[in-house]
Order: sequence, then C-alpha cells, then structure tokens
Amino acid sequence: MSDWGWVTFAYGVAYGSLALYALSIVLRIRTARREIGDNE
Amino acid sequence: MQSQVRIRRWPWVAIALSLAVAFTLSMISPADSVQGDLVRIMYVHVPAAWLAYTAFFVTFVGSVAYLVTKNLRWDRIAAASAEIGVYFTGLALSLGMIWAKPTWGVWWTWDARLTFTFIMFFVYLGYLALRRTTDDPIARASRSSVLGILGAIQIPLVHFSVLWWRTLHQPPSLIRPDGPAIQDSLMLAALIVGVLAFTIVYVALMVKRIELIHLEEKRLAVEQSIRRPVAGEAVTAPELGAS
Repeated sequence: MSDWGWVTFAYGVAYGSLALYALSIVLRIRTARREIGDNE
Repeated sequence: MQSQVRIRRWPWVAIALSLAVAFTLSMISPADSVQGDLVRIMYVHVPAAWLAYTAFFVTFVGSVAYLVTKNLRWDRIAAASAEIGVYFTGLALSLGMIWAKPTWGVWWTWDARLTFTFIMFFVYLGYLALRRTTDDPIARASRSSVLGILGAIQIPLVHFSVLWWRTLHQPPSLIRPDGPAIQDSLMLAALIVGVLAFTIVYVALMVKRIELIHLEEKRLAVEQSIRRPVAGEAVTAPELGAS
C-alpha cells in the first residue's frame, strides 16, 4: 500500500470511529429520554 | 424551544468545525524528509495520545474531589472523562499501529511506551467495568474513585517511558528541554491545531456524556420507583357483601 493509502486508512479510522462514538452517545441520550418520558 | 435545540447542538457543531480546520492543515502541510506523507498520521495520533492523558488526569481530579467533598457531581465528571479517555487511548494505539506497519515493518512490538499504553487501556476498561458492578451511586463513586486515583500513576509512566527506557518509540516531539523537534512552521501548526481540535472534541463529548449520565440516573430512579412495593400492598381488602 502507498503512503497515501496508509494515511487514508488512518484518517478513516480516526474520523470514522469518532463519528460512531458520537452517534452512540446521541442514540443513548435519545433512548434514555424516551424511557423517562422526556420529550424535550 | 429553538434556542434550546441550538444550545443542545453546539457540541456537534464545535466538533465538526474544529476537525475540519485540523484536517485541512494536516493535508496542506509538507511531507517529512524522512517519513514522507506518513507524517500526516502523527497529526491525529499525537493529539489522541495527549487527550487520553488529559481525560485520565480529569478522572483523577474528579476522583480526588469526590473523596474530599462526597459530591456526586465530581464522580459524574470522572466517569464521563474515563470513558472518553478509553476511546482516545484505543484510537492512539490503533493509529500508532497503522503508522508502525509501513515505518517499522510490524504492527506491534513490546516496546516500553506501547506496553504501558496497552496496560493503561485495560486498567481504565476495568474502571468502566467496576462502575457497572453496583447500582448504588455512593458505593460506585467510592470504589471507582480509588481506581481513578491509582490509575493516574500510569500517566507519567506512559509519557516518560520513552526517556526512562531504551525504546523504539521516538521521544516527545513538542515538549522537550531543547524546544520542539519540528522545525517547519506549517508542520508544527498542523500538530498544535490537531491537539487544539481534539481538545474541543473532548470538551464537547464531555458535555454530552455528562448529560447522558444525568438522564441514566433519572431512568434508574424511575425504574426503582416502579419496582418499590406500594405501602399496604400485602394487605388484602375485605370482600364487601360476603356473608
């Protein structure tokens, strides 16, 4: 793999995992709000 | 209502903007004379490692503050920061491996810095697991505060391992007695802006993660109030009209 291939892989892992982690927090907040009946 | 939505969304806007600036700088900065374009991986690897230290240091401060004040607010801060720290440690390890394969020829080696970081990752996973062993907020806060304080011993151990032992991992790039090792101003800017962007990401994630802890505590209180037997539930009402 070329240097740019490794760079693309690394940035994909960094930004992709961050997006997934942020999404997991959003979904957990949404679930918790729904379960306590908070519709704000 | 609209302003509430705007306030709730600012962490995500801050994350997107700061990462966009950091990404642009890391792509327009020049290639390194030795590492070539692989140096660009450092602009995400180094910030991830720094934010792992920062997050675990905040966990340490929150743990000490909880044990001193017994205020659960500090325990929430410590817990939120530990989870984000585990994420950043995992990210730093993964990015280091991706950089190591084309540079060192191996994904992993049992070098002092790598080994101590690996141990730190599992100790804080243990911290998160420990928090799930009880629903009692006082017991949970007390137990995890002790681990949050003991775990912080690893932060200097990981950071200075490259100076205290002979390692394959390079010594610090920014904070050194003879100044930063990076001479090119654009490369230095890409690294510093990367650290600042990840710091904004950390603060934004902390805001949302603490909000989640509040909601989970409310949910637990609702569940416990449903499970609690109603007073007099065991008393059977007399059948009216029975002879």
